[in-house]
Amino acid sequence: MTLKDIVNRFFLIEILKGMALTFKMMCTRAVTIQYPKQRRKIFPGFRGKHAFVRDAKTGKEKCIGCMKCANMCPAQCIYITKTKIENKMVVEKYDIEALRCIYCGYCVEVCPTCALVLTEAYEYSAYTKDEIYFNKAKLLQNWDDFASTYPADEYFNKFWRPDGIDTSKMVKAKKEQGPVPTRPVPQPAEPQPETPAEKPPEKPAEKTETKETE
Amino acid sequence: MAVIKDLKTKEITINMGPQHPATHGVLRLMLELDGETVVKCTPYIGYLHRGTEKLGENKTYATALPLTDRLDYVSSMSNNIGFCVAVEKLLSIKVPERAQYIRTIMAELTRIANHIVWIATHALDIGAMTVFLYSMRDREWILDLYEMTCGARLTVSYPRIGGVRCDVTREFMESCYQFTEEFPEKILQYETLIDKNRIWLQRTVGIGIISPEDAINWGLTGPTLRGSGVPYDVRKFAPYDAYDKVDFEVPIGKNCDVYDRYRCRMDEFRQSVKIIRQCLEKMPEGLVLAPEAPGYDMPAVPPKKPAAPPPKTAEGEAPPPPPPPPPPEETGPVFNELYVATEVPKGELGFYFISDGTGKPYRMRLRAPSFVHAGVLPKLCEGSLVADVIANIGTIDIVLGECDR
Repeated sequence: MTLKDIVNRFFLIEILKGMALTFKMMCTRAVTIQYPKQRRKIFPGFRGKHAFVRDAKTGKEKCIGCMKCANMCPAQCIYITKTKIENKMVVEKYDIEALRCIYCGYCVEVCPTCALVLTEAYEYSAYTKDEIYFNKAKLLQNWDDFASTYPADEYFNKFWRPDGIDTSKMVKAKKEQGPVPTRPVPQPAEPQPETPAEKPPEKPAEKTETKETE
Repeated sequence: MAVIKDLKTKEITINMGPQHPATHGVLRLMLELDGETVVKCTPYIGYLHRGTEKLGENKTYATALPLTDRLDYVSSMSNNIGFCVAVEKLLSIKVPERAQYIRTIMAELTRIANHIVWIATHALDIGAMTVFLYSMRDREWILDLYEMTCGARLTVSYPRIGGVRCDVTREFMESCYQFTEEFPEKILQYETLIDKNRIWLQRTVGIGIISPEDAINWGLTGPTLRGSGVPYDVRKFAPYDAYDKVDFEVPIGKNCDVYDRYRCRMDEFRQSVKIIRQCLEKMPEGLVLAPEAPGYDMPAVPPKKPAAPPPKTAEGEAPPPPPPPPPPEETGPVFNELYVATEVPKGELGFYFISDGTGKPYRMRLRAPSFVHAGVLPKLCEGSLVADVIANIGTIDIVLGECDR
């Protein structure tokens, strides 16, 4: 045992070093976030609450009922019912049982029309199961809720067309999907009682999505 | 005093777990105690059994991937990568180089995150609470890096068969580089707190000794094996992804005890940082998904090939031409069985597939390191004190989600 060891042993050097570190840490800024009052930044592409993108032109969802998401869903929590109306298949019911969802986001990635999205909303606890059983209307409502709180005017989910993946095999609608507007776009077809002063006239042109990539 | 010496006490049997906070989940240990000494230790597992292997047989390869997130939930990215590497070998898909590097970065970030959780809980069990607080602070950064890339923090499902889901962003690269700059200081902080702390040394040095021969015979892998001085690492012996293109060392221990296994993992922190740094510097440009990779809507049954040409019955006089030779096997799964191992933070995670030519595995077997390591507990614990059982559970680094599957 060297002198150093004896000094170490007698004067508790190693413990004092640890104490010094903890004392130093006491003087640094706290890293904790006081959650309900403060919120951490959510990164784009966060896989949260489900929503149907409200199409700016029709005001409805863009789902065509191709069943890709329902067939592929690893948790099998998407239920789709289709009916034939005037020789056309129409999506009658589209339900997502969010309590069974595992938030893998595969449904967003396979969707050929970019109709479905996992938004960045993450606070949606409820008292009953029914509130988290999303049907078509609720999914659209989720989009409106999300879009109204979204800071930017346009939203593009990165899983609609992920970066670094060859787009040549994708369907045309997916290839050409641009950012979707998050603010209500004035309907050009309907006569509008009051001219929206805050809306610049070039706003409707935004719907013809530019092909610029993220 | 003589009375106490002659006193014969009955051995008592106690249950440690499944609700014991220091058993890292729902491990139940039946301990037979003679005073403070453990005479017999029997681990009981299965409290978190979810039937992952059977579930995997009912899903296509592409959609069975999220199941692997839930095996070892503190290092889900590594499990995903292990699964993908195995399936890619089965389907003979070549992963683009950029995706290989991204995966290597992700695997090493996961190794750091896993070892952070390990040092946090292990030290907390033994009695050093401050390490827990510091390490949880640093893990947050890694989870943020995951979220930045793939939108999830824990159950990531980021790799996919044939590459990764999306490219990493510039923001990720910068943040990751910043992490490699700053993290070595954080390792020093942990070491300042416990490395030479006399309580820590008394609780770890000379505890849970397992000789290299025994360690191999018990099937230990990962840092638990390397703590006994066996330099076995799948990343070196059967390199996958970009591990053959980066330079790193495999830290090994000498004294085969809890302290050496702790040292091994602390050195792995530094090696992981080194690997990440190299990958960030070497990462090439390009696509991140192989063109022949199956999509998520991979068919469960392969599409029927036009086996026989339509018979030409119109003429009827000429004999049908001989059937054309079968087309060369495409990238679809063929009847095959294979075992592919990858180095996850806890050890060697192996996937054993039997494929019958369809899009679903006929049998999927997981060789989970935690399962094997839980089996060695009697060997480590018998003859030691009750308090050392906690140190032994911590040192083999088990997660019961993976153990019970």
